[in-house]
Amino acid sequence: MITLSHYLIVSALLFALGLAGVVARRNILIIYMCLEMMLSAASLTLVAFTRFHVTDGLPDFAAQSLVFFTITVAAAEVAVGLAIIVALYRAKQSVETEAVTKLQG
Amino acid sequence: MSVFSIEILLVVLGVGLLLLEALVPSLTRRALASISLGGAALALVLFFFADKSAAALPAFAQPFHQLDTLAVFYKGFALVITLAVLWLTVESRAYLERYTPGGRHGEMFSLPLIVCAGMMWMASAKDLITVFVCLELVTVSFYVLVAFARKSSFALEAGVKYLILGALSTGVLVYGIAWTYGVTDSMSFEGIAEALAAPATAKNAALLGAAFLLAGLGFKVAAAPFHIWVPDVYQGAPNPVTAFLSVGSKAAGFIVLTRVVDAFMAKGSVIASEVQALLLIGGALTVLLGSLPAIFQTNLKRLLAYSSISHAGYLLLALGCAQTARFDLDGSSVAAFYLGTYLPMTVLGFLILTVVRQAGLGDDAQDFAGLAKKNPFLAFAATLGFASLAGIPLTAGFMGKLFVFLGLVENAHWFALSCAVIGAAAGFYYYLRPVLVMFTGESGPALKIAAPTRAVLVLLAGAILVIGVFPKPLQGVLKVPVASATK
Repeated sequence: MITLSHYLIVSALLFALGLAGVVARRNILIIYMCLEMMLSAASLTLVAFTRFHVTDGLPDFAAQSLVFFTITVAAAEVAVGLAIIVALYRAKQSVETEAVTKLQG
Repeated sequence: MSVFSIEILLVVLGVGLLLLEALVPSLTRRALASISLGGAALALVLFFFADKSAAALPAFAQPFHQLDTLAVFYKGFALVITLAVLWLTVESRAYLERYTPGGRHGEMFSLPLIVCAGMMWMASAKDLITVFVCLELVTVSFYVLVAFARKSSFALEAGVKYLILGALSTGVLVYGIAWTYGVTDSMSFEGIAEALAAPATAKNAALLGAAFLLAGLGFKVAAAPFHIWVPDVYQGAPNPVTAFLSVGSKAAGFIVLTRVVDAFMAKGSVIASEVQALLLIGGALTVLLGSLPAIFQTNLKRLLAYSSISHAGYLLLALGCAQTARFDLDGSSVAAFYLGTYLPMTVLGFLILTVVRQAGLGDDAQDFAGLAKKNPFLAFAATLGFASLAGIPLTAGFMGKLFVFLGLVENAHWFALSCAVIGAAAGFYYYLRPVLVMFTGESGPALKIAAPTRAVLVLLAGAILVIGVFPKPLQGVLKVPVASATK
């Protein structure tokens, strides 16, 4: 029997993996993929909580609607984000984090 | 006319302007700017006369829209800063033309209107879903705005950094929302406050959710330890966008933070004392980490970025003493008042940076050498702006800091108070040093400013002085109704 805790543990693991990737990786595209993974982990947590919060025999759909917003926002973010990363590649011929170290101090 | 229709009007105007730019190639930059500025000004006038009672809202908006004193204040605030940012965009013509050749900067004139609508909706949010959607509307628009001058390697770098850290904060925020929902079984602030007041609530899980939520919002308002991105992004972004980030985005973050903290620290909440401790420690840390590195800055734009961090610290400290009601202001309205004082002085600072850049100089301190001889009026306005940022008496900045300090004294938060005092003392040094440079350096060719720019400078300087000498009107707008002051 899969319980709420199983879902929470998996999503926490996903979230931690994503965060570790953001911190450790040097390629901006991969960092961006890790960020999307964190967002998915958060959505999974939310879906699990809403699925197990049953009122009148139905899951809490009102709260679940946030997941749809998250998906939509993630898509918008990817569209804008990739455009910026492409602009960076055009300017520097690189998408490594070393390409963005001019501003310091 | 309800406030809601003004927000719809702003979105329609923003999207319409984008379409106009794409479909009508003969439309000049000047025309786009006039439509955008005129629309924002019209929205502000309409807002002034609009029916601001909650009953005037359309029925479908009632369940997720509230209109209390704070919401109305932050809505007006969003309109004013948008108008100021559009004006700064008009002023930074040379910079934008250099880095986006051939463009008419349509996005720079339409996206701020959409951001403004997002900030206005956020001020009325009743639940975390609305908060998330509005916050992302603002953040995604800002990704575009920060990276707008994409031929400048600085702006591009700032755009990438803001993108990564903005997306990271979104992930953290949603995770926090999910856990808060999981513990309280509710998305609305009311429901969360109610559930947290029940003694059976799982305290550790609630704390986990609260910590992630506050961390996500901490990114947005530039609070330590999530402030590392601020100096780089602020320095690289175009001036109008930096001003918008520094004032608008911060205010938007703080109205959400106010609502969230109100719910977390509601009467009887199991996590009230922990959240308060987080706010006070975070606030004290933010003041120190903003003020102390600022001492070593030679670039004025970067200096204003660090200044923005330290101001976020004072605002957090104001929220940390939410229980007081002195001068008819409680913690959340002290924060709102502080933002009200912060707007004119920061916009003034960025307007001066923009004017100097338009004249072909840069943002470094030596570019401002001898400004008093090149243009005494500009140097005087800059002096007033920096004095107000430092918090010298008779300026707006002093009144804001005074209320924060009084709140800390009243609640006996001595550690936070001492950090705030250290930050303010450092501020006297790093804000007044550039002023000294302006009055001592070698003179150069005279720096001319156009009449409209001069009028805006006078308006901003006037606002700083009026709020500093006579704060009652601004305070009156935020007056806490007696019933809620004693809750």
